[in-house]
Formats: sequence, structure tokens, C-alpha cells
Amino acid sequence: MSLREHERTLEVSALQVSVGDHLVAVQDVSFEIRAGESVGLVGESGSGKTLTCRAVLGLLPASGHVDAGRIVLGRGADEVDLTAARRTTWDEVRGVRLGAVFQDPASYLNPAITVGHQLSEQLRVKRGLGRSEAHARSVELFTEVGLHDPEGVYHQYPHQLSGGMLQRVLIAIAVSCEPELLIADEATTALDVVIQAEILELLRRLRDDHRLSLLLVTHDLAVVAESCDRILVMYGGEIVESGPTADVLGDPQHPYTQALMKVATIGTWERRALEVIPGQPPAAGERMPGCRFAPRCAYATERCTAGPVPLTSLDEDRAARCVLVEDAVARPLVEVSA
Amino acid sequence: MTTLRAVLRIPSARVAVVVLLGIAFLALFGERLAPHDPLTQYTDAVLQGPSSEHLLGTDYVGRDVLSRLMAGTRLSVLGAVEAVLIGAVLGVPTGLASAWMGPRLEWLAERVSDTLVILPFTVFAIAVAGTLGNGLQQAMVAIGILMSPLFFRVTRAVALGLRRSQYVEAAELMGAGQWWTLRKHIWAKVLPNVAVTSAHATGAALLVVASLSFLGLGVTPPAPTWGGMLSADLGYLAQQSWAPVFPAVLMMATVGSLNLLADAIRDVTGDVPATRRSGRRRRSRKELAHVPA
Amino acid sequence: MTLTHPQVAAAPVSPAAEPLLSVTGLTVSYAPPKKAASLGTGAALTEASLQVRPGEIVGIVGETGSGKTTLARATVGLVRPVAGTIEFAGQDIGGLRGRALREFRRSGQVQLVFQDPLRSLDPDLTVADLVREPLDIAGTLSREEKAQRVRESLELVGLDPASTLGRRPRQLSGGQRQRVSLARSISTRPRLLFCDEPVSALDVSNRNLVLTLLDRLRTELDLAVVIIAHDLSSLAGIADRVAVFYRSRVVEEGPIRAVLQDPAHPYTALLTASAPSVAPHHGLRPVDLRVAAGEDRGAWTTPAACVFAARCRFAHDACLEQPTLAPLENHDRSAACHVAGEWTTHLDSQEIA
Repeated sequence: MSLREHERTLEVSALQVSVGDHLVAVQDVSFEIRAGESVGLVGESGSGKTLTCRAVLGLLPASGHVDAGRIVLGRGADEVDLTAARRTTWDEVRGVRLGAVFQDPASYLNPAITVGHQLSEQLRVKRGLGRSEAHARSVELFTEVGLHDPEGVYHQYPHQLSGGMLQRVLIAIAVSCEPELLIADEATTALDVVIQAEILELLRRLRDDHRLSLLLVTHDLAVVAESCDRILVMYGGEIVESGPTADVLGDPQHPYTQALMKVATIGTWERRALEVIPGQPPAAGERMPGCRFAPRCAYATERCTAGPVPLTSLDEDRAARCVLVEDAVARPLVEVSA
Repeated sequence: MTTLRAVLRIPSARVAVVVLLGIAFLALFGERLAPHDPLTQYTDAVLQGPSSEHLLGTDYVGRDVLSRLMAGTRLSVLGAVEAVLIGAVLGVPTGLASAWMGPRLEWLAERVSDTLVILPFTVFAIAVAGTLGNGLQQAMVAIGILMSPLFFRVTRAVALGLRRSQYVEAAELMGAGQWWTLRKHIWAKVLPNVAVTSAHATGAALLVVASLSFLGLGVTPPAPTWGGMLSADLGYLAQQSWAPVFPAVLMMATVGSLNLLADAIRDVTGDVPATRRSGRRRRSRKELAHVPA
Repeated sequence: MTLTHPQVAAAPVSPAAEPLLSVTGLTVSYAPPKKAASLGTGAALTEASLQVRPGEIVGIVGETGSGKTTLARATVGLVRPVAGTIEFAGQDIGGLRGRALREFRRSGQVQLVFQDPLRSLDPDLTVADLVREPLDIAGTLSREEKAQRVRESLELVGLDPASTLGRRPRQLSGGQRQRVSLARSISTRPRLLFCDEPVSALDVSNRNLVLTLLDRLRTELDLAVVIIAHDLSSLAGIADRVAVFYRSRVVEEGPIRAVLQDPAHPYTALLTASAPSVAPHHGLRPVDLRVAAGEDRGAWTTPAACVFAARCRFAHDACLEQPTLAPLENHDRSAACHVAGEWTTHLDSQEIA
């Protein structure tokens, strides 16, 4: 087993997800998450990022299903294939080895039960703890996620807590069984900016303390820039660029990534012209020859729409799905000057 | 209207509409199209089974059953429609208004509605018909009044909900008066609920009329009514055991169709149109818009 | 790849111009919203003052419940203030009621764009009906004039009248809906426009599109715009001034660049430090400004104390009394802080005398 395989937490290979009447919404998606790593999955709405993360969690809507590819969690003896897993497998994996938090925390909590009780429930069912043990452990977890007065919060109902506190509760529930991977799907999108920063810091701390891998799904490039080791850029259902965050954002190779950088928040406040990306992203499942970004791309040529564009490796860690990148890699790298 | 087209796409609604159109047709032209005069007694052909002369047979005094059924449609249905109209006219405007009235008037309107709701339709109708003589008109007016709380409550509930919507608030910020808001934003949205309620109410009223005429109240014999025929047929079950089926089938068909139509309208105009369990529908691209990407 | 953005000439706002909107000492008590309105949470507002000059874009920034939406609601008459005045073009509009209020609203001089166009546009009406509605209600223009105005408004927001007039909101994209909502609010050619979180539901590209649009409308229609936002990126590049709200009070106010690059109030510093950015982060991090976790801040929660004291690292004895919004020396700015601007010198130390 190679070193990388040894550290692997999640591997997704050539994933294809379709919805409804054979509309392919996610195509040829492959990526890997290593232990303790934080990966950002970035894309606009319609890019397929949410469907991808739902596929990994086995929570696709009724009309969606995985057509092709593999999803594997863990490594070696603990490896489990999630691609076409049965309900019993999911029961063992979800909440135990895979945790998730989503966008609107209030809608993921039972409004009629105290938040402490909901966390205890998770511990008692999945870990078999007794009632007082679960209570104590819950309070510990609430402290760890930064809730002020955890003993008091234990007895509160969801409607008595703010959005930021609820999200901390959900994070506590998600990490309660020491999962290998935590998926955060737009987990901070609805929160105020100060709380967002706190939650992202919390996730960073959890990663460090528990060697937890993190998959952060968001449309906000700035969030990924600050919180993720590696970045995957999705567009129109495909991964168009991937690599270490600093490298990709410092020197983006794919025109879409370049465009995203131009429109992103840069934290300066002078008057300036605001960039836009002209056009609209393709509808889910829309059939297009070749590159799906071509209609909006400033560098598009006929070759771009001639046929499917493969993901070209730039080096061990980086890849981009672009005809121009393909060319650059094929050309000899050294130009000898006379 | 687009709603009508959407409703007609549902198979059960199509059947219901056809049946109801047939009933309406009979109500208007039944008497004229009947093969025989409904009142003529063929004394030499009493209690006969179906024959070429009398397609559904004759009753206990020799009257042609088919003709009586056709002619009787008008009296049976008209009363019901009258009651529902009165109920709607009384209930809908007050329901709309109550969403804007001050708290004291609102309270009064609700108490009036509560009181009326307590009284049971049929018993009250019997009481009215009995005291005021055999007047179907009076009875149906009374039923109409009793039905108005139904319309009042439905309309009020919808209006209250709509009044809190953001586009109504936006209109208020544009300086719109209550009349404008009502006309422009609320009226058209209340109509589907009124339609559903009307359909259900017509069915209920129909049964009340049938009950009244069954008991011999409301309509003076020998005028044909479905309920009256049912009552008479029961007296001669020994000779014609199948006779009650005909008026009963007509009543079932009408009330059933009204309910199916009401269901269809509700399904089509609800906030989240329910997908019909029966019948396959091709999912359009737009419907998948809610699928997270 | 360096991040260079073309500079745009400053907006032509003369500082000496008479303020179009002048809110002074406005206080709104914590009352349930009238008619369970969907705008804001009914948060209180305490002694808020704000001025908006013609043609200016002012940003109001604050967390949920900070009172930022309450200010807008009070100005358009959805809540009644307990104290303070609201003056628009010299006219006191805070006291308008009933018919006078309706007349003022029909004049269409002050308009409000709601946060969610899907909810604030009647789903059963066409774009034409929607954009024309304020004109219909006012009833001062002829049918041709109204149609002309509707077409102009749609063109101003970058929509093609021919293809959008007959559509219904559900048939449009999110960005298009937001623009229809804008078109509706400018159809009366207002002088002041409140935008409640105009871009928070949009992705970055659409966001920039709408912000650029607001900037253009400001110049083409000589319109003053107040943008209410919970994040700073909604104001990026187009706002002239910013007012920062925290728990019902204005804690800082001034030209946006000065306030956000050199905050006088610790809360403003926390906001800018928390905002994520793709450019490498220089300057303070939120952890530099936060109170140590687990510390007992009970002493700072008395009602008379500064609203931010409980979360403020630099709180000291003077902060037991709420500071008023006071102008800073030599600047076109004000802040409500006892150590306004000075706290930067205390970043390393633990105590402040």
C-alpha cells in the first residue's frame, strides 16, 4: 500500500450522478481526502457540488441515483464501499464514521426536544452509553464546541438558541462518535460574518485535535481560501480544477477559476469596478459537446467544443480540465535559448 | 383559465366534469327531453320492469321512471345550488372583510359564525320546512345561511394568510388602500379555495334536499325529485327490489363527482401541488429545479 | 497572479449638500412588528442618528437583531418610533399617519426593496403588472406614460422589456427577479432607495452585477441608496459611507474606506477581521480582539453599560456607562467608544487603566 493510500479517508472515483429522466448532473468526479486534511468543494448553485456530497452521504433525493463510479470510505481493513451500500451499512457509517452539518441548523433539530437530549440520544444509540454517561459526555462535547454554559444549554430547546449556537450543537452531534470525515454543506452560509469566522475556527480546531478530515462545500471562494488545504472547483457537474489552495488561487489554470478570483471578495474598500462572469451556468444535465464553460470563456476556441475535455494533471497534486492546459503540458517545458 | 386546464389534465377530474355537465344538462333540459310526461300515470302498466317502452320501468302508479328521473334533476339540483350561492354570497365577502376589521368586529363575526355552525343542516331544514309549510325555497335559504360560516372561515383563513405575505406588505408600502390590495392580490387567490368549498357544499346541500324530499317535506307531490322517488321506491321494495338503485346512482354520481372535482382543484392550486399517485406524469425540467445541485 | 482592480472615479457627492434623509435620536421600542410584517425581527433601536445625502450610497451593517432593518422600517412607516425625528427633504415624515402617510407613500419618493424577491413579488402577476403597480396606485400618469415608464425602468436595470414583460416571477432566474424588484422600486423615480440585503441570496457574479447596477442607478437617477447588509462584501466597491450597528445602537459611522481599514470601534475591527477574503489576510485576526473564553463578563451586562462591553477586550471602568456617538477629531467620522481609535495601542497588553 502506498503512503497516500495509507492515509486515505475518502476516495471518490469517476462518480456519475443523474437525476430525474437521465439528466446527468455530476460527471466524472474523482477526488481523495486524506486524514486530517481539509478539502474545499467550490461551485455556484447548479455546479453539482451538493449532489456530490449527498451521494457520499447516501442522501440523494428520490429522483437521483449514482450511475457510475465508486465511493470508498476508510482504508485497509476498515474500508467500506459506499457506492451501492445497503441501509444496514449506512446505519453503521452515518453519524459514526461520517458526520455532516448543513445550512439551516434549526431545521435539522427536533423543536420539541432539548438539544442536550438530542445529543445524548445520538450517544446512547450509536455508542451504547448509559443515560448519565451520555449526559456527561454531551456536556463535555458542548464545551468542546465552544458553547458558553454547556450545562445550561443542555436543557434548552432549539428555538431558544441563536443560529450560531445551533450550528455548534449540530457540529457536536456530528463529531460525537469521533468520525473520520465531517462534511459541511454550506454550513456557514446563513450565519453572520463574525459567527462564521468562529465556526470555521472551531472546525479547524476539531481537525487539529481529532485528526478529523473535513469536506467544506461552499460557493464562497473566500471561505475556502482561509480554511482549506486543498480545493476542488466544480462547474456544470464536473471538476474543472483541483490542487493545494494556495497554489490554485495564487496561479489558477482554469479560466473559470481565474474568473472566480476576479469576482471574489478581496477585503479592500476603495471604489472599484466590480467584475462579473458573463452568461449563466448550464442547467443540470444539459448536454453540451466538450467544455461546459466554453460559452462563457474568454479563451474559447473550436477545439473546446469539439469533444469531451479530460482532466489534465499538472503535477502530482494539481489538475485542470482545459484544452489550453492540455496544450501547455504537452509542449516541452524547457525552451532552450540559443 | 390555466387552473381549469390543469384540473382537466387529471383523469378523475375529467370524468367528474363530464358527469356534472351531464347533470347540468339534465337540470336544464331534462323535462323537455324526457320520453314521457313525468306526471302521466299509465295505469295499465304499473310497477313494470325495464322495457322498450319504458327504459327504466314504471313506478307504483305507472309513471315512467326515466322521465321522472330526468325531470326531477332540476328540482333536486336547483335547491342545492341556491343554498350554496346564498352561503357563498353571505360568507365570502364577510370572510375577506374580517381579515381587515378591527379586533372587536372580528370577534363579533367569529361568534356569529360559531353559533351558526352548531346547528345541524338537515334537522334545521326540517324545522324550517315544517313550520313554514312545504316550501323548498325557504328551506334552502335556511341551509344557505347555515352554510355561510363554512365559506366565512375558509375565506378568512386564506385572507389572513395572504395579508401577512410580503407582496401585500410591498403594496402597502406603495400606498395601496385596502380595496386595491384585495382586488389585485387577494381576490384571485381566494377563488380556488371558494371553488373547493362550493363543490363540497353543493354535495352536502344535495343530500339535504334529497333528505327533505325523502321525508315528504319541501316539495309537493307529484313533482318528481330524486329523494321523493327513493322514498316511494322503498315502499314497494317487494315488487321492485332494484328500483331504488336508479335515483341512488344519480345522487351518488353527482355528489361523488363534486367531491372528485373539489379534490382536483385543491390538488392543482395548493401551495405545493401534490403529485398524483395514480397516473404517470413526465417530470418536466422545471420541476427538478428544487433538486439541490 | 496579482489582484489589481481598476479604480473608478469617486462619486460626485458634495459634502456640503443638504442631507436628503436626516434621522436624529431615533428610538424604537421592542414591540411586536405591526401586522406580523416580514421585514426584520422587530429589534429595538436606541438613539440612532444617520444622514444620507443626495446621490450617496450608505451601507448599514450589523448582525441579525442589531436594529439595521428597524431603521428602514421606521423610515417607511412600518413601525412607530418612541422618540427621535425622521426628516426627508426637510419634511418630518416620522409623524405621518393614515391618509397623509398613504399620500407620501404614493408620491414614491422613498422606496424599499425587499430581501427576497420570490416573496415580495406577487407570483400571479406578470412583470408588467408588477413594475407598473406603484404607478397604478399613484394614478397620476396616463396609460401610455405608465407603459413608457415601465419599459424605461426595465431597461435601466438591464432587462429586455420585450422578453420579460409577459413573464411571471417563477419563470425568471434569481438575479432577474431581484432586478424586477428593483425596477418596480425605481418606477416612481424615487430620491431615496432602501435595499434590504439586496445581494445576500445571490452568488458572487450576480452579486457584483446587482451592486454595479445600484451604482449606475445612483448616477443616472440621482438616487441616494441605503444598503442594509449583514456582511461587508455586499458593500464592496460602491458604498461611500458606512454605519455599523450593534445591538440597537450605531457604534461607528463614516467614509467606508476609513472606517473599515482603520476602525475606531473594536466591534468594527472584529467585523473586518472576521470577513473572509481570497487575498492574504494582513492585520488583525478575530482572536486578537476576542475576550478570553470562559471569562466571567457579568459585570459588563448591566443595562447602562456599553452594548459591546461584554464582548470587548478593551472594556474598562469607563465602559460601565454607554458612550454616545461622538465625532472623532479631524475626521468626517463618529464612533461610540470611550477608547475610540486608541484601543489599537492596547492590543498587546491585558489591562487598560
